[in-house]
Amino acid sequence: MNSLIAPNVGTPLTRFLFTAGRSTQALRHVVGKLSPDQRTSLLIATAAAVLSGWNLLNAPEYQDDEGTYTAQALAVLEGKMAPYTYWYDHPPVAWVQLAALSWIPLLLGQGDQTYVGQMRYVVAVFFVASTVLVYLLARRLELQRVFAVLAAGLFCLSPLSLVLGRQVFIDNVGLPWLLLAFYLMLSPRLKLWHHIGAGACFALAVLSKETLAIFGPALLVALLHRPYWKTRFFSLVGFLSVGGLILAFFPLLAVLRNELFAGPGHVSLQDALTYQFVSRPGSGSLFDPDSSRQELVMGWMYYDKYVVIAGMVAALVCLLRREARWITSALCLFSAPVVIGQGYMPAMYVIAAIPFLVLAMAVAADLTWRCVALLFPAVPYPGRHSGGVRLVGLGTRMAALGLTCGAMLAVITVLLLPQWIAMNRTLLQTNSNRDWQHALEWSKKNLPRDDTALVPYSMWQDLNADGRHDPWKVIALEKMDLDSEFETHHPDGWRAIDWIIEGPPTARNIENLQLHSAGQALRNSRIVVSFGQWHVREVIEEPPAVWPQAESASSGAAR
Amino acid sequence: MFLTLIAVTIGLLIIGISFVLFVIALSTLYVTTHAWWDPLTQAQTAYTALLPEPALSFSLIMPCRHESERVMATTLKHLCEQDHPNMEVIISVGHDDPETVAIARKLAAERPHLVRVSVDEGPVKNKPQQLNTALAMCSKDIVGIFDAESIAAPDLLVHVDSCFQIKNADVVQGAVQLVNYRDSWYSLRNCLEYFMWFRSRLHAYAKQGFIPLGGNTVFIRRDVLSTINGWDSRCLAEDCDLGVRLSVLHRKIVIAYSPHLVTREETPDSIRSLVKQRTRWSLGFMQVYAKGDWKTLPTIRQRWMAWWTLMQQHFMAFAGLCLPFSIITALVGKFPIPITLLAFAPLVPAVAALAFDICMLQEFGRDHGYKIRLYDYFRLIAGTPFYQVLLAFAALRALMKFRRNDFRWEKTRHSGSHLDYLAAARP
Repeated sequence: MNSLIAPNVGTPLTRFLFTAGRSTQALRHVVGKLSPDQRTSLLIATAAAVLSGWNLLNAPEYQDDEGTYTAQALAVLEGKMAPYTYWYDHPPVAWVQLAALSWIPLLLGQGDQTYVGQMRYVVAVFFVASTVLVYLLARRLELQRVFAVLAAGLFCLSPLSLVLGRQVFIDNVGLPWLLLAFYLMLSPRLKLWHHIGAGACFALAVLSKETLAIFGPALLVALLHRPYWKTRFFSLVGFLSVGGLILAFFPLLAVLRNELFAGPGHVSLQDALTYQFVSRPGSGSLFDPDSSRQELVMGWMYYDKYVVIAGMVAALVCLLRREARWITSALCLFSAPVVIGQGYMPAMYVIAAIPFLVLAMAVAADLTWRCVALLFPAVPYPGRHSGGVRLVGLGTRMAALGLTCGAMLAVITVLLLPQWIAMNRTLLQTNSNRDWQHALEWSKKNLPRDDTALVPYSMWQDLNADGRHDPWKVIALEKMDLDSEFETHHPDGWRAIDWIIEGPPTARNIENLQLHSAGQALRNSRIVVSFGQWHVREVIEEPPAVWPQAESASSGAAR
Repeated sequence: MFLTLIAVTIGLLIIGISFVLFVIALSTLYVTTHAWWDPLTQAQTAYTALLPEPALSFSLIMPCRHESERVMATTLKHLCEQDHPNMEVIISVGHDDPETVAIARKLAAERPHLVRVSVDEGPVKNKPQQLNTALAMCSKDIVGIFDAESIAAPDLLVHVDSCFQIKNADVVQGAVQLVNYRDSWYSLRNCLEYFMWFRSRLHAYAKQGFIPLGGNTVFIRRDVLSTINGWDSRCLAEDCDLGVRLSVLHRKIVIAYSPHLVTREETPDSIRSLVKQRTRWSLGFMQVYAKGDWKTLPTIRQRWMAWWTLMQQHFMAFAGLCLPFSIITALVGKFPIPITLLAFAPLVPAVAALAFDICMLQEFGRDHGYKIRLYDYFRLIAGTPFYQVLLAFAALRALMKFRRNDFRWEKTRHSGSHLDYLAAARP
C-alpha cells in the first residue's frame, strides 16, 4: 500500500506548492497593478471583514427582526415574499438580496449554524461594502488619505455601528446602495451615466429600506451644489427619472397583486402606509423624559456618544467647505424626525447616519489640519486645498508633522478609546446567545412535531425548517394576532396553541403590538423548562381557578 | 399538460423579449444621450477653432428633382453667399425633369461665374446617379452636398475648411436641422429626431469608428471620392453606404456640431411623404447591410458595432410596438409576478429616454432661438406612441420592398415651410 502511495506523495505536494507559489505571484502581480486607493480599499475591506466576522454569532443577542428578515429571505428562495401574508411592511428588495447571497455562509463553512446566524454572515458583506464606500467617499471629498482611513476606521470600530451593523437589519442592506449613490453623485468628471447610476442606486436603497428616502434631498445637494456645468439639467433629469421609475416598481407590485388600495379581505399598500405613518403608536417627543424616543436616543448615546455628538458638531464645520455641505444637509435631514417628530421611530434608524457622522468628523479633522498648516508653515498639507509649496527644512517638517499627528492621536486615545474598548470587548468576547441557543436546541428535541407552538421570530426559521415546515404549526408570535389567516387554520383561537417559547422580548412585543390572543395564551401557560431568561411554556387548556399568574410561575423554573 | 407547456413557453418568451427590449432601449438611450455624457464630450462634438485663412476650395453639389423655383432659389442664394473665397456651385438635375432643368439654367445664368448646371442623361434616375454625374464636373479640393431645400449658414464653409485642416480629415459631416417643428404633430418629433441624430448619435457612432454618413451638408475630399468611384448608384442610402465604405477604409471622418452652423431643412409635408422617406432610409440601411462591406472590418468588435448600427433603426421601430404587446401579454396571461415585473423593466430606459427628450427639446429651442411652449412638450410626449407606429410601419414597408427587390426612389416633396421659420427664430 505504502509503496503504491509513496511515489505519488511528492507529486501533489510539489504541485500544491507550485500552484500556491504561482497564485502568490499572481496575487502580487494583481496587487502591484492596483492604484494606492484600491490597495487601501482592499486593506480596509480585509480589516472590516475580520472585525465583522469576529464573535458574530455570539453577540449581540438575536433579535426578532433579524428572524423576520431571515425567514422572509429564505421564503424568497421558495418563490414567496414572506412565510406569512406579505403586508407591504417594507419593500422586499432587501431580503431578495439576502436570499441571492445566502450561499455565502456555506462558502465560509458556516452552513451548520442557525439560520439567523448564517444570515449575519451575509449582512457582514454589506457592512464591509459600506466601510469601503465610506473610505472612497472621503477620497471623493479629496481628503488626505490618512483622514479617509480615519473615517473608515471610525465607521467600523464605533460600538454603535459594530452592534447594529452585524445584525440582520435591512438598513444594513440598503446602506451600501445609499453610499454608492452618493459616491456616484460626486463624480468628479460630472458624468451623466454616474448620475443616472446614482438614481438607480438610491432607488435600490429606498426599496431596501424605505426610511433611507430621507436622504434624497441631500443627494440633490451633492449633485447641484457646485459650479454650473453644461450638462447639469440632463444629470438632474437622469437622476430623478431613473430613480423614480425604479421606485415605481414597488407600487406596481401592489397593483399587480390587486393590493394597492385598502379593501375588505386583503392587505394593501395603502393600509401599510397608513399604519407606518399614521396609526402606529408613536415614540413620543424627544423632550419628554418618559418617551421611548428619548430612551432610544439615549440608547444610541450609550453605545457611542462621541461619534454622535462629535459628528453632529463636525457637521456644522462641514459648512465651511462647499463640496462637503451635503453631509450637513444629510445629517439635518436625519435629525429632523428625531427632534421634531413624534411618530414611531425604529432603533435601526441611526444606522444610515453613522457614515455621515464619521465623514463629517474626517472633514473636520482635515480642516483642522489645514488650519494648523496655515498657522504653522512647518506643517505640511498635501491635500487639494493646500496653498502651495513652502520652503521648510525636512527636519522641521517631520517634527511639526509628528507633533500635530501626536496631538490628534492623543485626543482619540484619551477620549475615544477607553469607552470603545470596553464596549467592543463585550461585543467581541462575550456570548449573549447561549440561553437562546439552549432553548432552541431543547425545543427542537422535545417539542412534539404535531403540536402547535408559538415562538419568537428569531427562532422561527430554525424550528420550522426542523422537519415541521408549516408556518401554522410553528407560529411566529405576532402572526397569531396580526395575520388574519391564523383564524382559518386555528378557529379555536389561543386554545390551539400547545407551546410557547418565551424570551425577554416576548412580553414587550405582546404589549407594544397589542397581541391579545398571544397574551391570553401566555397567561394560560406554565413553564416547563428555563434557560436563563428563556422559558419553554406549555399552554394549559383550562387553568384552575386559583392558578397563579404567569409571571409568578417563573420563580418555580425547572432546570 | 399541453396548456402548461404553452404557458411556460410564453412565459420564457416574455422573459427573453423583455431582456432584448431592455438592451435595445438601453443602447438607444446610450447613443441618444452620448453628447451630454459629460462636459468634455460636449466640447469634443463642436467645430474646431477658426483658422485665420481658408486654404481649401469647395465644389458644392445641389441635387434637385421636381423642386419649386422658390425653394431652389433660396437654397442657391444661401450657398452663393458663403464667406468662403474659393468655391463653385453645381446644380444637379435629371434630363427627364425639364421644369427643374429650366429653373436651374435660369438660376445659373444669374451667377455665371459661380454656378453651373449638370444634367444627368442616364436611363435610371436617382440621387447617387445625379451626384456621380455632377462629380465629374467638380474641379475643387472638397466636394460638398446640399439638398435642394436646405439653408446653409453663411460661415459654414470657412469653419469646415478649418476643420479639414486642423483635424486632417477626409470627410467632415456638418449638422442638418429640421426647423418647422410647429407644422404638424409629427414634425416636432421629426425635428427632435434630427437634433438627436446630429447632436449626439452620429458622434457616438464616430467614437466606435463606424459612421453612416448623412446625405446633406457632408464634405468629402474629391480625390478620396474618386478613388472609391463616387457614390454607389444602385444604393438608395448612398450617403450611409459612402460612410460605411470610408469607415472600412479607415478614412478620417469628423462629425461636428455647432448650433449656429446647422443647415436648416423642413420635415416632409405629409404623413405619406414621411412614411415614404422613412421607407427609403430603412430600405437603404437594409441594402447597405446586405451589400456586406461592413463584414470586411478587421475586428469582431467593429463588425458587431457595424451590425448593430445598421440594424438599430429597425430594432427601435419594432421595440416600440413590442413593449406594450409584451406587457399586455404578461398581464392578461396571469403569469407569476416576477415575470410580469420583468416585462415592465424595459419601460425604465424607455421612459427615461422620454424624459431626456424633454431636455433635448429645451436645448433645441435654446440652440436655435425658438420659444418652446408647454404645449410643445405636451405634444412631444403625446405624439410619441403614434410616431413610433409610423416608424414601425415604414420599417415594415421597407422590409416588404426589400423582399420584393423594389428599390425605386420615392422622392420626398418639399413645400418650403422651413423658410418661414428662418424669419421666426430669435437671433
